[in-house]
Amino acid sequence: MDILVIHLFNALLYASVLFLIAGGLSLIYGVMRIVNLAHGNLFALGAFITASAVGQWFAGSSSALLFLLLPAGAVGAALIGAILEPTLLRPFYRRPEEYQLLVTFGILMILEDLMRFIWGPYPVSATTLFEQMGSMKVGEWIYPRYNLLVIAIGALAALFLWAFIYRTNFGVMLRATSQDMRRASALGVNVNLVYVQAFTIGCFMAGLAGAIIVPSQSAVLGMGVDALVLSFIVVVVGGLGSLEGALVGALIVGLIREIGISVFPEIELAVLYLIAAVVLLVRPAGLFGKAT
Amino acid sequence: MTATLSALKTRSPLKIVVWAVPIAVLLALAPYVIEPYHTILLGYGLIYAIAVLGFNLLLGYTGLLSFGHSAYFGVGAYAVAFMVKYLHTQSMELFLLGAIVASVLVTTLFGYVCVRYTRIFFSILTLALSQVLWSLAFKFFWVTGGTDGLRVPTPKLLGVVTGEHEDKIEFLSHGYYHYVLVVFIACVALMWLIVHSPFGKALQAIRDNETRARFVGIQIRRYRLVAFLVSGVFTGIAGALWVPLNGLTTPDILYWPFSGEIVFMAVLGGFRNFTGPIVGAVVFNYLKTYAVGFTVYWQALLGLVLVVLVVVLPTGIVGTAKLLAAAARRRSAR
Amino acid sequence: MAGFGLAGVAHAQDKPKGTIPDKPFKIGHMTFFTGAGAVLGEPMYKGNLLAADEINAQGGLLGKRKIEILKADEAAGTDANTKEMRRLKLSEKIDLFMGITSSGNSPALGPVAEELKLLTMFVDGCTDFLFDKAVPNPRYIFRITNIQSADGSTCAVGVALTWPDVKKVAHIHPDYSYGRNCFDHFSIVTKKLLPKAQNVSEAWPKLFSTDFTPHITKTLAAKPDLLVTSLWGGDYNAFYKQALQHGLFEKMKVATTLAFGSAPQSVGKDHPEGVLTGVHSNYHFTYPAGNRWPANKTFVEKYKAKFNEYPNFQAEGAYTSTYALKTAIEKANKLMGGWPDDEAIISQLEGMMIAGPGGYVYIRPDNHQGYKDAITGFSKNVPEYPFPILDPDRIITIPIRNITAPPGWPKGEPTSTYTWIDQTWPQVKSA
Repeated sequence: MDILVIHLFNALLYASVLFLIAGGLSLIYGVMRIVNLAHGNLFALGAFITASAVGQWFAGSSSALLFLLLPAGAVGAALIGAILEPTLLRPFYRRPEEYQLLVTFGILMILEDLMRFIWGPYPVSATTLFEQMGSMKVGEWIYPRYNLLVIAIGALAALFLWAFIYRTNFGVMLRATSQDMRRASALGVNVNLVYVQAFTIGCFMAGLAGAIIVPSQSAVLGMGVDALVLSFIVVVVGGLGSLEGALVGALIVGLIREIGISVFPEIELAVLYLIAAVVLLVRPAGLFGKAT
Repeated sequence: MTATLSALKTRSPLKIVVWAVPIAVLLALAPYVIEPYHTILLGYGLIYAIAVLGFNLLLGYTGLLSFGHSAYFGVGAYAVAFMVKYLHTQSMELFLLGAIVASVLVTTLFGYVCVRYTRIFFSILTLALSQVLWSLAFKFFWVTGGTDGLRVPTPKLLGVVTGEHEDKIEFLSHGYYHYVLVVFIACVALMWLIVHSPFGKALQAIRDNETRARFVGIQIRRYRLVAFLVSGVFTGIAGALWVPLNGLTTPDILYWPFSGEIVFMAVLGGFRNFTGPIVGAVVFNYLKTYAVGFTVYWQALLGLVLVVLVVVLPTGIVGTAKLLAAAARRRSAR
Repeated sequence: MAGFGLAGVAHAQDKPKGTIPDKPFKIGHMTFFTGAGAVLGEPMYKGNLLAADEINAQGGLLGKRKIEILKADEAAGTDANTKEMRRLKLSEKIDLFMGITSSGNSPALGPVAEELKLLTMFVDGCTDFLFDKAVPNPRYIFRITNIQSADGSTCAVGVALTWPDVKKVAHIHPDYSYGRNCFDHFSIVTKKLLPKAQNVSEAWPKLFSTDFTPHITKTLAAKPDLLVTSLWGGDYNAFYKQALQHGLFEKMKVATTLAFGSAPQSVGKDHPEGVLTGVHSNYHFTYPAGNRWPANKTFVEKYKAKFNEYPNFQAEGAYTSTYALKTAIEKANKLMGGWPDDEAIISQLEGMMIAGPGGYVYIRPDNHQGYKDAITGFSKNVPEYPFPILDPDRIITIPIRNITAPPGWPKGEPTSTYTWIDQTWPQVKSA
């Protein structure tokens, strides 16, 4: 029985990370109608920045300091997003969609090599926090406490985002802009500002996902490209542009992956794509999405 | 929009012959003039050109950006590999036939799902579906060889057996290269006919204004589906030609960044022109090969090229060349 | 004479016969320079480089041709690697291709090398598939480190010697040919030696995954006596750290085929002791130790001095390969004079027995595969090194002829070694 609890934790762990990445992607699309193919690499950047901060620059410091430094990756990714949007993306809003997709694909390639240039070819790890938090008993098993922290952060992020979007003025402006950009602009909303803020938040989320996952795994080159595909699966399942969709999609993907590995070990990878395929055939806009 | 209009203008066949024939002759003479390695490289370029030509029927002429064309390339390649593995086929003609059949099946299935949507949803659907294929190729290793891939030995061209003892490099840079060139010319001619046919015009009408096209009586979804089919089959043929040149096929060819490269090639050449994809594919092939050999940061280099391209030269090489030529003509006409 | 340069010839270097050109000898070296595979693969290049520098210090091959190494990154993917091999041969005109870590790449590149008539020494990429199926009659390609089937078999023999009472076995293997090969051979050997052992759980993470939590949980849930895993490089390092936090090592014995195959310093001292930590059945720098095998002592010292780290089996493999090449060239020159062509070098490599830092390596003429006695051991932390090593008191060595298919054995499925073990090994009767 306890083992089922652990399986649940694993699924939630994966779902938390996926939600942050896919949620960011969906948010950016919802507000700006841009699919950012480089989004996965912001996740990777978050991982590398935090790995450096916690594992190298401040290695050996007290746990408290290391915890405070954990979100460094998220902040870093957000900063990069804040720079990217006005410079490389804004010129394309009036252009056909193909160009937006292409410029983000180009950014993906540049960021991939930028990470390699800065951090070198080897994986970077920062396992101190993971080890220091130790493990707690779950029935006859033990489970790393750090994983539970990740789940908590994911849940908090979901909550925070929901509150932010539905309970603040800024959230109102965000939703207005996503529903009808021109009317919002006509009503006095500074659309450019909303765009850069939305993009920054989306990148922050992706970076945070990378940051929190680094202590238990490591920052490896190529993790961005893999993450992008996974987040695509989540938005296909949940619906592009919807945060609820990202949450539900992430939970479904997390659960099915866990079940798949446990019960059908041979098809581990394929099972995720199969879910996507099934959803595509039955409800192509995703569970919560609206397709044009 | 001048680029679009020029695509609609009908060119007299004579004008085409004037520049197409010399180029074809030059390409045919290539193996006797340049090193085998470069001929093989050019062969790869021509194969990619067929793939991107097919892709562009959807993008340039129908206005649909597919981000999953690696699927059809891979289907063509794996079809050949399966024929080798299970049927012990050796004939290149049968390979092409098999690839066409397989592509038709897969594009019909995928197209049916995808053409219900447009714009970003269409692109995402195509990407997701191609990834499904990738994961199947990856996981069903007892069928597909998994990451080890499947080997495809030297095929028989037109029933002529190439001996075991003949130098493979000789074969690839002469016999096989000419075979690819012939198929390439046939594909270009066929695509030319397609885009200049009423069907092709209807596609462009759908691209330019879907509502108006529907009012004129064009059945949007059906036309899109047929375009999807034709597009996928061309790319499948390219995949079938590619696999004997490469010697083997692996799931890498189905992985989504390759779809991105196909899009890159079309944009590089100019997707609003007929010849754009061809030029883009050949140029990109050289660009990537030399970038990989030149620096370890070749991805950043290509990424930079893409960003600059999209910002500064959105009409691609051919598009920009046409604009410059038109500007020059206007200046000389004054 | 620098390096180990013994190769069974006790006298000093003779002067080469005939005229030798002095243009450089180009080696194209392809291994993992980036990503999780790099901690295992990159030292291969260092081994090649060390040998090349030593040889160049003497003037080069046959005293005249200096070795130049061109690097290529195996992480680019099988397709890109195929293109790169062609480019290196046809455009850069390399004389020899060396390298390859992943078993996914050697079966793809082997046939291409044969087509290109490119003299090739695969250091790893050890899958049986290469010489069983992809290139059953190799001419230009050789492979130096032990054939892959030895890994699963060595691990299983190690388990049978140490933990003969295991009943429930769990598996975690990377989902590609190496993982499947280890699983197959571990299983067939265990079937013969430990008839009571049963598989209770399997997990197949994708190669270069970073999250093994679900696989760990699955394994724990099955409550096995033993976990067998062929995870390697960065994957293994991530795995053991995560497994520690789940208390996996306390609940079961763990046997690996390649845990200590990476560059030694990449594994931390938090790694549990007493794990059967495989080294790809090839080499660990601590064995043979001290003066027991001087060639190893010298090699490790020189490697450490040059690179400030300790060599792994890939480094030793590449080093030995380079010296095997040198020896073959010298022998061919002695017989024929002048610079030997590829055919001559091939004829001298076939059947060569060379004493490397890790032991005697025999290059079998029929399949161009190198054979070396297999070795494995148990992890232990000692004060002399800042990372765990193989416990010097518990090294297990196995004559290679006991665990791999002999010459003349017909090719089989999934491998020749598998069918040979299945058909010729005695079946242990359970007590």
